[in-house]
Amino acid sequence: MNNQSNIPSDSLSDILTNQIEVLSKKFPNFIRSVSIQELGDQIIQYLTLSFSDTYIEFAYRSATSNFWKVFSNSGAIHQQTFKQSRIESFGDSLPDNNKTVKIKIIHTLDDNSAIGILLLKNNPDQGFSDVDSVSVRLIVYIIEMAYRNIVHHKKEKDLVFSLNHRILQLNSLIETGIEVEKLDQTSSPHHLALIRAASLTNASYAKLLVASGQKIKEEYYFPEHLQNNRPVDNTNQISTKFTYREDTYIFDLFNKESRIGNMPFDDTDQLLLDALAKQVYASLENRYLHKETLEKQRIEQEMSVAATIQQKIIPIALPVIKGYDLAGINIPSKSVGGDYFDCLPISKRKYILVVADVTGKGVPAALLVSSFHSYLSAYSEGSFTLSKLATRLNKVLYRESTDDKFITAFIVILRPELGEIEYINAGHNPAYVYSRGMPIRELKGSGLPLGMFPDSEYSSERITLRRGERLLLYTDGVTEAQNEGGKFFEQKYPLDKYFSKHQHLATKEFISNLVKDIKAFTGSAPQNDDITAMSLWRL
Amino acid sequence: MIMDIPFELKSEIRENRLIISTSGYINNIGGEAIAKEFNNHLGRGIKYVVINLSGSKVVNSIGISFLLEILETLQEENGKLIFTNLDPAIDKMLTIMGIFKFAGKASNIDEALQSFPAQ
Repeated sequence: MNNQSNIPSDSLSDILTNQIEVLSKKFPNFIRSVSIQELGDQIIQYLTLSFSDTYIEFAYRSATSNFWKVFSNSGAIHQQTFKQSRIESFGDSLPDNNKTVKIKIIHTLDDNSAIGILLLKNNPDQGFSDVDSVSVRLIVYIIEMAYRNIVHHKKEKDLVFSLNHRILQLNSLIETGIEVEKLDQTSSPHHLALIRAASLTNASYAKLLVASGQKIKEEYYFPEHLQNNRPVDNTNQISTKFTYREDTYIFDLFNKESRIGNMPFDDTDQLLLDALAKQVYASLENRYLHKETLEKQRIEQEMSVAATIQQKIIPIALPVIKGYDLAGINIPSKSVGGDYFDCLPISKRKYILVVADVTGKGVPAALLVSSFHSYLSAYSEGSFTLSKLATRLNKVLYRESTDDKFITAFIVILRPELGEIEYINAGHNPAYVYSRGMPIRELKGSGLPLGMFPDSEYSSERITLRRGERLLLYTDGVTEAQNEGGKFFEQKYPLDKYFSKHQHLATKEFISNLVKDIKAFTGSAPQNDDITAMSLWRL
Repeated sequence: MIMDIPFELKSEIRENRLIISTSGYINNIGGEAIAKEFNNHLGRGIKYVVINLSGSKVVNSIGISFLLEILETLQEENGKLIFTNLDPAIDKMLTIMGIFKFAGKASNIDEALQSFPAQ
């Protein structure tokens, strides 16, 4: 550029026109700059070409900063350096400052940030002309336009970042919903949701408490290592909570981060936290229902196994005993109890009749009944007395059963030719004997359930079943069948009345009619226990 | 379960390539530490950078904004940034935030170093 201070006006006009033309050519490059760095490079390049043998600085200071970001040519083309200097000292720290001819312009921009341009002649004997000053002024205005473009570009970039962040939040919300459902039963969906909430809201710290009343059941912190040393600002916090069954889940997020320090959480953050908490609630509910379904399936499978075991030991047909009509029935409940009945011939002259009920339900009960059936079959082939047989059964069942499992049983030895009934009642319901026109007789007995104590002993009693008399053995599923009002069958229909009403029926019908009456009484109430009965009619 | 450890940063130079490895939450503190480490090396002619996130499982958008800045600076310098050992959740986040339009990703550090131009 022209180094002369005094230039004729025509020549000045030409120089300025020339300057404007050069600047016009450079203008697109300035305007295309998307960062201060890029703009700084362009400016330094242009000024270095325009002002030979000149040290040049271009500086930028944001509205919120106390420092200048300085670009310089260090006196030679493309050898730019970068430094920061205090706002008040831009351009003042150069050597021999007072002796050097310079142009220094500081210009405040629209957003209160500022730019500075400093030109120093390397040779103190050289100076700058008025044209140079005007040229630099022109450049300042072009920089201002380019800066507006950078600000616009930055806003656009921030907007894209912000939109992407919203997409990220939505995506994570959906993904977290899927993830909390996927977790295995030992993982906690609420912990994962807490971490996601912290990340998506830019919280620097998060806390989750699961409380039941005053008792804290679970505590989670994110990041965990800050649990005891957390930089928490309680005024910068959002929370949400819900109660699921007995437990209250309290989510707290602290210290929303930004690039310029902490800032208040906004409505979107609260919505996001609430949404994640709702997902956790839904997940907990689904887990509970899933667990219940699995438990139901397990019980159903167990019941199915128990039913199979029970069906295998319940006799399909009972032996035909000359001079007697014998029948039995077992209607298992849905939950399958441990009822059992059977009639085993000991010899042509003796039979064992038994009706039994195991405490509890399901497979354990069915297995104990199965054991009982096996031991009874085995011992019945020996020459034990009924008392000995019961004592032995008690010992083996005590050994094989758990403390809460035992069997009540009514065991009869029938000597058909004599009509003799020898019986033992091991903690079971009394048996009934009915004779036409006579009051019903109860055969009570007094033994303890089998398998309850190791050394229980049993003594038998005897009666004679006369012709026309009927014996009924049954389980409590008959007498304690309940209707919807909670009443027991026997309360409304005492068995003696049933006997007299159906005395003419063959035993099979007698038994099946009894079941029909029970079903009619219970109506739509569920069958809670097995219904088992066996009856012997001496013809 | 997400590993939750304090933020830590290690860096090394291998054949004029900067490798920054992190562990812990990449938030304002973590992001700033990465940017500071990067800026410390930028003036020494480093143009190819690997950010190994093997120990980081959670990142927030403030942390991502620092990573974007590093990416922009490297673009201006005609350099390249590659992320390695990305947790799937972080991979997805960086993808949504548009990082991989300009940065690369590799399964490990060696693979990342091989994808830089030969010196």
